[in-house]
Amino acid sequence: MTPQSFKKTGLALLVLTALALPLILRSPTYLHILIMLYLYAYMTTTWNLVGGFAGVLPLGHSVFVGIGAYTSTVLWLQWGISPWIGMLVGGCLAGFVAYLIGKPTLKMRGAYFALATMAFVEGVRVIVENVDQLGPFKLNGPRGLNIPPLPAGEGSLLAFQFATKEPYYYIILFMLMGVVYLTWRLSRSKLGYSLSAGGEEPEAAEALGVNVAKCKVTAMVLSAFLTALAGTFLAQMTLFIYPKSVLTLDLSFELAFIALIGGRGSLAGPIIGALMLRPVTEFSRIYLSATLPGMHLILLGVILIVVMLYQPRGLSEPLTRLFNRLQDRICSTKTGGAK
Amino acid sequence: MTKKSLATAALTLLALVGMSMSAMAETVVKIGNVEPLSGPSASVGQQGKNAREMAVEEINAAGGIKSLGGAKLELIYADSKSDPNVGVTETERLINTDKVNIVTGCWNSGVTYPATAVAERYGVPFVVPVSVRDTITERGFKYVFRIAAKDSWWTRDQFTFLKDMKDEFGTELKTVAFVYENGDWGTGFAAQWKTLAEEAGYEIVLDEPYPSAATDLTPVVTKIRRAKPDVLLLTSNAADAVLITNTLADYKVSPKVILGSGGGHADPTFISGTSDNSKFMFDIVEWETDVNKPGAKETNDKYKAKYGSNLTGEAVDAYVAMYVIADALERAGSLEPAKIRDALATTDLKTGPAAIVAYDSIKFDATGQNENAALAIVQINDLGQGLERITVWPKTSRRADYTPVFPMPQK
Amino acid sequence: MDLIFLLQDVINGILMGSIYGLVALGLTLVFGVLKIINFAHGSFLMVGMYVAYWIVAYTGLHPYLALFLVAPIMYFFGYQMQQWLIRPIFVAERDVREPITVIIVTTGVWYVLDNLALLLFGPDYRALSPNPLKGEMIEIGEILISTPKLFGFIITVLTAAGLYWFLLKTRMGRAIRATSLDRDAASLMGISQWKIFNVAFGIGTAIAGIAAVVLVPVYNVYPTVGVPFDVKSFVIVVLGGLGSIPGALLGGVIIGLIESIGPNFMTSTWTEAIVYGLFLLVLFFKPSGLFGQKYDW
Repeated sequence: MTPQSFKKTGLALLVLTALALPLILRSPTYLHILIMLYLYAYMTTTWNLVGGFAGVLPLGHSVFVGIGAYTSTVLWLQWGISPWIGMLVGGCLAGFVAYLIGKPTLKMRGAYFALATMAFVEGVRVIVENVDQLGPFKLNGPRGLNIPPLPAGEGSLLAFQFATKEPYYYIILFMLMGVVYLTWRLSRSKLGYSLSAGGEEPEAAEALGVNVAKCKVTAMVLSAFLTALAGTFLAQMTLFIYPKSVLTLDLSFELAFIALIGGRGSLAGPIIGALMLRPVTEFSRIYLSATLPGMHLILLGVILIVVMLYQPRGLSEPLTRLFNRLQDRICSTKTGGAK
Repeated sequence: MTKKSLATAALTLLALVGMSMSAMAETVVKIGNVEPLSGPSASVGQQGKNAREMAVEEINAAGGIKSLGGAKLELIYADSKSDPNVGVTETERLINTDKVNIVTGCWNSGVTYPATAVAERYGVPFVVPVSVRDTITERGFKYVFRIAAKDSWWTRDQFTFLKDMKDEFGTELKTVAFVYENGDWGTGFAAQWKTLAEEAGYEIVLDEPYPSAATDLTPVVTKIRRAKPDVLLLTSNAADAVLITNTLADYKVSPKVILGSGGGHADPTFISGTSDNSKFMFDIVEWETDVNKPGAKETNDKYKAKYGSNLTGEAVDAYVAMYVIADALERAGSLEPAKIRDALATTDLKTGPAAIVAYDSIKFDATGQNENAALAIVQINDLGQGLERITVWPKTSRRADYTPVFPMPQK
Repeated sequence: MDLIFLLQDVINGILMGSIYGLVALGLTLVFGVLKIINFAHGSFLMVGMYVAYWIVAYTGLHPYLALFLVAPIMYFFGYQMQQWLIRPIFVAERDVREPITVIIVTTGVWYVLDNLALLLFGPDYRALSPNPLKGEMIEIGEILISTPKLFGFIITVLTAAGLYWFLLKTRMGRAIRATSLDRDAASLMGISQWKIFNVAFGIGTAIAGIAAVVLVPVYNVYPTVGVPFDVKSFVIVVLGGLGSIPGALLGGVIIGLIESIGPNFMTSTWTEAIVYGLFLLVLFFKPSGLFGQKYDW
């Protein structure tokens, strides 16, 4: 077995397992946890387009989640436009906002960019909390928007609402696979190379004729568009959105945490991070919070600190090494130890 | 059929009954509770948890649910962190994984609203002790029951109180100011205040939301000071209720009436955090320790000895919810959700520890709302034993020998 | 609008704003020297408030006298925090000047501290007692001035002046400034970079402790009390210029004034939006802030 085919087999196995999981795992609770895991992996992968490849630290990506959630919900509630169309409209709107905000801020370095994105999401949240109606669009201020559920047991593809968890599971799984593939293609494109060059050595990249600023803005717009799609998905999952649930710093921070724990700028990083962090947050909240309030967040904090102290590049690096060693061993035994 | 086989059959039957009896003796009724145990509302969540625990200990000590062979109640908690998404996930988990028979919660209306929808979808009874938003019981749901009043009743009673006091004391009240936290709860109240004030012919001199995480409320207080309202209506969470009350006193703002809406004003730490500054203020609540109901004082003393603070209205509703559930289970005699649901729907609880509530009885209407849920208004005053909350309205429940200080003395 | 109202609002705004500035002062100092943003700064403020609260509750000391205990305790706390948590990151990421991972580590510290407080002290809102300053007001005709806030203003000015003097006149202060300007050159001059980082972080935390003492008489103590101050401090330091001492104070006063004068024209929830709007405008058009050095971004 060559390393190439080993990798391909592994990937195929992984995808097959993910596809088959709902057949084995019948409990809606576990499916729900998996759906949220994929959703966070998805959002972190799109975050990674800016936070990983462009070398800055966005701490305001929830603003795009919010734009996606609010756009599709308003269109559905007021005009009955299918959330699937609303999803695309929300994506475009988020991309446009990302262009406006990205053009001036992406020139900033480190801390400034992080703070600017934070302030932006806080500002948007405050505005949404203060207006019941924005032009013809009813936002309902801090009370948020409810999507009336279909009668129990009914589902509709057009309304993006399903009676069971399985459709949600497959939708988010395909979204995740799509966005990972896209990132992989992108990392091998000219834009990808320019981005990582610009992220590491902006001056050198400029000297080589790469328009670093323009590349970063492109990445930001793309990232915002894709993140907003997740917003619509989230709204359809919970059927209830309000400013403090989708336009929060908590969500923005969590995406950054997942990416950094997993490994910024690596393809597998967001997935590894989500696999690590989501179950820890879910299960520690479930089993600890009644007896030891706040313990789950202490645990999260400790994990963040420990991983950053010992693996500042995230967990994907040591895991990749582990994977390579495994691959070497398997491939070498199969080919009789020839190197 | 021979005699022998008849005897065998009888024996088998007896054995079966015996087995099922012993199986029933071990039956546990699982009650899932979604509460804010961490995050900004952790304080209320903790009180709700304490109250539930005390009630369940009492019920179990008294022999559990007799019609279910002495089944014991078991409480399972889930932390909503005041986040609707988490609340929904946790409600689903309690139903699917922990297989709870009944769910209660969630205090934050924003969480209760979607969480009750989950329970309805799975057909699991959901008892809401307190969550004020009207629409929680206005969606035609079959499995959702609320014990406390809904917000349109709260605001309605606040205005009835004002009118009654005006008549009783002959005080002129012309202008009114609304000051409220800029969340789901505060803005919901304010919208109803506006209609009610207009109907009652008040002049609205200030309509001011403020961010509940505000670091300084002096600007809001100076605004109240300049608007000079006769009546100040407040809707505040815990930290801001203390901050606004102290700042009002600092700037010597003294309307004729300051009326809170529970929440932060009913928090056990409110009085210690404000001390004399809260004297003579009014607050609307579901329940007060001085309520004229048998057993109320004993229950409160027990609670205070155990957890160190007085029962709040919200805690009482949580306490009573356990008895409502026990009563329904007793009558249902089954753990089948539909049967529990039907038993809940026909609840008419007047006696037992649950009767410490201020309501005549607990009885759910067709929407699942407790139709007898009533509210009381208290005044904070010092009668020689430190500041306490004294029931003043409705007049029928007013503490004996107490004359409300009305209007509040000018500073 | 009456002139007397305006005067009252301006006074309120300056007093409260100066306290915001004091909170931000520690943050800006740490940024100036280490070039990192300490996301746990609000939690340090919370820790300081609990320390002050317990000292006053147990000893019955006047809150302002507690300052002489709170500040050294907080200095020690910050010093050790930098030594054991932040320094290893600088060591691991030697080639990066502003390691982003620090933001994540300090956020982790924030989560741990806030929730540890919840676990240990419960979610209760605690009011200082005994509190000799409670409700103390100075009355000048129509104008009312809160005495504890006035003291807060004075303490802020004294702290800022003291810090300035320390940085300009003492040997350690000069070493800190040298490190903040060029840490490699400073190292070459024989200044121990790590020692300077520890001291600067310690001082920044001690200032959070001073701010905590100023806030305790007018504010309640609870586990998440630092969060609203945290975000506000970020806005203030960027407004004033990251790393600038007068900038932090002026930034604080500007925010205080917006919050106190703004509500005359709009509801107070909108003033928040104005603050963020102003913050973004400054970032776009003068990212170095009002007093920041161009060099720093």
